[in-house]
Amino acid sequence: MTASLVERLLRGEPAALARAITAVETESARGRDILRAVQPRLGRARLVGFTGPPGAGKSTLVGAYVGELRKRGKSVGVIAVDPSSPISGGAILGDRLRMTEHAGDPGVFIRSLASRGHLGGLSPAASRIADLMDAAGKDVVILETVGAGQSEVEVAEVADVAVVVCAPGLGDDVQAIKAGILEIADVLVVNKSDLPLADRTRRQLKAMLQLRAARVDVAVLSTTATSGEGVAALADAVEAVWAAKGRPPPGTRLKRIIAEAAAREIRAKILASPQLAALSSAVERGELDVATAAAALVRALGED
Amino acid sequence: MAEPVQLPLPGFDQARARWRRDYEAQIGTDRVVRNRSGIEVKPIYTPDDWDGSRYMEELGFPGAPPFTRGIYPTMHRGRTWTQRQLIGLGTPEDFNLRIRKIIAAGATGLSLIPCNSVYRGYDVDECPIELLGTCGTTVNSVDDMDRCLEGVDLGRISTALNDPSPFTLLALLLVVAEKRGVPWSSITGTSNQSDYLSHFVANHMFFRLALPGARRVLLDHIEFALEKIPGWNPLSVVGQHMQQGGATPAEAMGLTLSTAIQYATDLIEGRGHAPDKVLPKFTFFFDISISFFEEVAKFRAGRRIWQRIARERFGAKDPRSWRFKFHGQTSGVDLTRQQPLNNIARATVQAMAGIFGGLQSMHVDAYDEVLSVPTEKAAKIAIATQNILREEAHLTDVIDPLGGSYYVETLTNEMEAKIEAVIAKIDAAGGMYRACETGLVQTMLGESALAFQEKVESGEEKIVGVNAYREEGDAVDVPALDRPAREAMEAQIARLVRYKEARDQAATRRALDGLARAANSTSDNVFGAVVEAARAGATHGEICATLRRELGFGDVLVVP
Amino acid sequence: MTERPPKILVTKIGFDGHDRGSRIVAAYLRDAGMDVVYTGPWQQIPAVVKLALEEDIDVLGISSLATDHLLVPKLIEALREAGLGHIPVVVGGIVPPEEEPALRAAGVAAIFHPGASREEIVAEVGRLARLARAAVEGDV
Ligand SMILES: Nc1nc2c(ncn2[C@@H]2O[C@H](COP(=O)(O)OP(=O)(O)OP(=O)(O)O)[C@@H](O)[C@H]2O)c(=O)[nH]1
Ligand SMILES: [Mg+2]
Repeated sequence: MTASLVERLLRGEPAALARAITAVETESARGRDILRAVQPRLGRARLVGFTGPPGAGKSTLVGAYVGELRKRGKSVGVIAVDPSSPISGGAILGDRLRMTEHAGDPGVFIRSLASRGHLGGLSPAASRIADLMDAAGKDVVILETVGAGQSEVEVAEVADVAVVVCAPGLGDDVQAIKAGILEIADVLVVNKSDLPLADRTRRQLKAMLQLRAARVDVAVLSTTATSGEGVAALADAVEAVWAAKGRPPPGTRLKRIIAEAAAREIRAKILASPQLAALSSAVERGELDVATAAAALVRALGED
Repeated sequence: MAEPVQLPLPGFDQARARWRRDYEAQIGTDRVVRNRSGIEVKPIYTPDDWDGSRYMEELGFPGAPPFTRGIYPTMHRGRTWTQRQLIGLGTPEDFNLRIRKIIAAGATGLSLIPCNSVYRGYDVDECPIELLGTCGTTVNSVDDMDRCLEGVDLGRISTALNDPSPFTLLALLLVVAEKRGVPWSSITGTSNQSDYLSHFVANHMFFRLALPGARRVLLDHIEFALEKIPGWNPLSVVGQHMQQGGATPAEAMGLTLSTAIQYATDLIEGRGHAPDKVLPKFTFFFDISISFFEEVAKFRAGRRIWQRIARERFGAKDPRSWRFKFHGQTSGVDLTRQQPLNNIARATVQAMAGIFGGLQSMHVDAYDEVLSVPTEKAAKIAIATQNILREEAHLTDVIDPLGGSYYVETLTNEMEAKIEAVIAKIDAAGGMYRACETGLVQTMLGESALAFQEKVESGEEKIVGVNAYREEGDAVDVPALDRPAREAMEAQIARLVRYKEARDQAATRRALDGLARAANSTSDNVFGAVVEAARAGATHGEICATLRRELGFGDVLVVP
Repeated sequence: MTERPPKILVTKIGFDGHDRGSRIVAAYLRDAGMDVVYTGPWQQIPAVVKLALEEDIDVLGISSLATDHLLVPKLIEALREAGLGHIPVVVGGIVPPEEEPALRAAGVAAIFHPGASREEIVAEVGRLARLARAAVEGDV
């Protein structure tokens, strides 16, 4: 059964891709089987991450960028991550409604994803879902996440090219764009450049970039996602970064994915381990320091 | 012979203290009551709350500022409101049949509700046939408009068109008038759906150009009317969409006034018109909810604020600029599907609120509107409701009969403050255009809609037949719907196709190109070019498609 | 294996755009812990089918306040043709009584009239979602 799903996935059938994504999203055994089966075929697609503060126009810009890629003959997959409500766990997935111009285009596959427990960030599944889109033959896979907390760093790790989107007039302008987010940018975009103050925001960002730890020049672009202005230049800039960076060896990413999966396992084991309670009360009573307790836990873990 | 009991007249303070004691003893734990706008409502109002000492500042006399008691000296004692029932059904022939009946019965005004396909900017040959003519009349061409109005004297009847940007229905009407030799100067009526900002935020039914284009076309349309159709009211600011979209009554009034401020600013500062030339053309359109006293206070406060805006913000000197003329429609949001005949009682209370609120024109919803497009029988009851209120209940004998009520005056002042706060919030956001563009208004509406719904869910707001006094088997015999016959619609589509084939193609092409050029120029009047295109044979769908292409489509700003 | 919350598409087809109701329902479902894919009004049927397929949704909700429900049979037909016949379609809004049978016959799983309570909607949509998910898991 799974074999045929994998074949259909590799042939690029949208229905198979959709099902495979659900299997991976729910971390099911079938999902693991699918990923194992397609792994040797991965590495064709380019992965572009879009991140930035809420409301900067990421989704609208992704929509316009997809249009540009289609003009250039590329097939596209989009993974749009929206935050889950911390209270109910539910989510309103509204990114794709900014991308409706591709509603009838079979060359574009969009999947919305809730961030689940990963506050504002990426769910670990997102990067594997990108792999599935790769397996299904998409030339470019785009990942949209809100830039809050950890997620931008994750985006940088997952994506080949990280595009950071800002907009004028978001709170205290640039204050809303934390320094961390600038660190990861391969391309920096000031969207909504039709609005007043866009130029000021652009200048402020350029100034902030000067302060950044030594790194290659970062393009600062202006776009108006709603009219499409500047989007072709954005596509060019992304291609230029690709050309400069070259293809990362597949091992790098895999090692990280394995390490992360292992870390999650270990953490789960630690949380379930009987020693944890005893050690924690010892720390509470002032008999042990945290570092020693941690070391003891790790030793205990190694023993079983 | 009984000994008469003499009562000493107690002092005010003493009597109040005693009432309070008795009240508190008997009520147990009192609940906090708030109206829909969030204003706390007390168990009693007295001269402590309103003592009439500021009578002239706050009320004055009808026909003079601040207009709290009404914009005309005679109000409903002189002329009652216009009873405007909106009609639109099926093909142009269906429509024509209905309005000829209505005119024969003495109506001097007619209204035309187009099919939703028209609202959305399409011709009938571009749409799924299932949806055609189900909510209004299919009018796409001069030929269609001519058939809609066959036998109607255009110079003598006032026409309300539910005609959003780019106002093609008006263009078609003007061309029909021309063909019949009726001068434009004798044409009267209103563009009922000209308020693109309200469409943008609250009601996604309408064809919308992207905001900058919509702004431009509205201003062109108003200027065209001012110059060439003096009897036409080109602007109606539609608070109804706000309130139906979830705004509280105070928010709806505030947002509507902010919208009017935006349009007035665009005309006066943007286009350089004298305030007294444009402001008299402003009319308003509101939802009347069942929250009776709140609605009365909403309208009284709205009148007061508008005259202040006209005088203080825009420096208007002509009293006609200060008058807040409005049409009210009883709110369909309050109607229920359960026990639908109860809706007659609801509409009656809503209509009373509108009358005491001092409206100039009214539409009372038919009780079955929540079930379907209103049937003829239900529409008749809606008319009768108004006749009964006027003739039997004598509601119109006294001007502003609730004026001077401690409660109503206090509430009017409190609503005024709430409304002013909304206007200030929109001002701070850079005006209504900007507040719609950024989604601020949409968020306000969504939050208020959800808050109200939650009160219904919790039972704090009771709705008879829905969350209170429910009955099993509530369904009544709802009269069968008149869905237009499929064959009639197929014939309508075929007729439009023939119309397009038979016209002078080169002339049509030229006129549409001219429309595209006008849209891209900064000086041409786009609405003038719409009229030209209609004259040359272009259809509604073609005109909308041209503008959609040149000015951009106003996609939905969805704020979940 | 982690449970995925029910994934619901809330959308509008046809001409009407009043979205007060669909926004409220979307918020209800989210607050009940579901994932809601929300679109604006005026969606075309092929676009809704493509979206339902790509998102692998469990229930499709159509809000109809005018006459858009008249298009629902066409939508269900299109879902079947795309191999998505297992997705239950529910309609909320104003559906005249005499048009209900035609919708039911076309396969509409539930109709929510004005006044339907939050609990009713959440419970029924959740139930349909579980059934649909079970059906899919059975057949892959
Ligand atoms: N004026 C202007 N508005 C824009 C532009 N791009 C996007 N917008 C508007 O900005 C709002 C937010 O756009 P989205 O694309 O949803 O922004 P986002 O960053 O994806 O938002 P989240 O996913 O909620 O974080 C929408 O109303 C867009 O129409 C632009 O270039 N100019
Ligand atoms: Mg987004």
